[in-house]
Amino acid sequence: MELALESPRLRAVPAEPTPAPSSEASDADLLVRIADRDRDAFDQLYQRYIRSMFGLALRRLRDRQRAEDAVQETFAAVWRSAASYRPERGPAAPWLYAIARNAIVDRFRTQIDTTGEVPEIVSADPGPADAAEASFISYRVHRALEELPPREREVVELAYWSGLSQSEVAEFLHIPLGTVKTRTRSALARLADVLEGELS
Amino acid sequence: MTPRFDDLIDDEVTAAERARLERVHELLVAAGAPPELSPKLESGPTLAMTLGKAPKPRGRRIALLAATFAVLAAAFMVGYIAGNHGGGLASAQTLQLTGTHAAPSALASLQILPSDTSGNWPMKLTATGLPKLGSRWYYEVFLVRNGKIFAPCGSFVSNGTADVTLNAPYRLQPHDTWLVTKQRWGDHETGTVVLRPTT
Repeated sequence: MELALESPRLRAVPAEPTPAPSSEASDADLLVRIADRDRDAFDQLYQRYIRSMFGLALRRLRDRQRAEDAVQETFAAVWRSAASYRPERGPAAPWLYAIARNAIVDRFRTQIDTTGEVPEIVSADPGPADAAEASFISYRVHRALEELPPREREVVELAYWSGLSQSEVAEFLHIPLGTVKTRTRSALARLADVLEGELS
Repeated sequence: MTPRFDDLIDDEVTAAERARLERVHELLVAAGAPPELSPKLESGPTLAMTLGKAPKPRGRRIALLAATFAVLAAAFMVGYIAGNHGGGLASAQTLQLTGTHAAPSALASLQILPSDTSGNWPMKLTATGLPKLGSRWYYEVFLVRNGKIFAPCGSFVSNGTADVTLNAPYRLQPHDTWLVTKQRWGDHETGTVVLRPTT
């Protein structure tokens, strides 16, 4: 069977299976180290959050350059203010989300509405509260994807966002269909564990 | 095209587990695809992100004032000695550099040699693991002072290894350090940092 999509968007996957990074330092641990000016910890946190933060900024600002600027400002703010994070007050993800949201709002304020016209039709877009909740969930989902072992993340990305059926994923990756289903199920279960808060 | 949950998961799972997985499925569909990163974002944190100063806890202010005074006194002594001996660093020093996310397998050693009579500070950089760059790219060594890029010290290209002689024609100070960036011809901004001092 010919695949409709010849080169799905994928990130590199290591040749050897990579264990789940569950034993790595927590976000809170990394922030504590960043407060002590540990650049390796900053690198790690950046890799964990860059996609989810960029996605968040892109959804709100709808402009890649502005979103990129907002993300850079977000990480600069994380570097500057990591010492103000208190692990006992809660997990790091919402704290980081708040910093990102502030940077995005700052960028948003600089956008100039050149039309100045009042729309005649009420928008069907969600209101601010719904949009904020949806943004936070997307941010957490994209962050959770980074927790998956690369081989599981790969099948999820192919199945959900490359338009391939499970059989096509198997063909594309040259693995049995059963393996695709096993990895998909394992990935969803792992995501469910990570996203427990959003599921309740 | 959104995949159907029933196509993804077999009937072998329990009803409770199936409901849990289906909720994740709905979240994935609602979240949409993660964005593609630009090469700039993909290459890791930039130096500019880490140039800002962290706010200091109040309790440390007195200690900081005392430390600042001590540093100033030490700097005065160093300056006094340097002013009378032609430079700030009396003998050769070697700085170890490690690769950033942009060049994770890179390692380098930067040897700062004693200054000559004109005030130049020759340096020898030996590096391994640096990626070979395209024709419009090169590596640049920068002097960093007080956490900020202070001045360039020379550029080079690499086929994986590099062994180059550079020069810092500036009066060096005790806390000066160096890093290496990847630059594109014609760009005026500092590029991605590929090597930085080992912490």
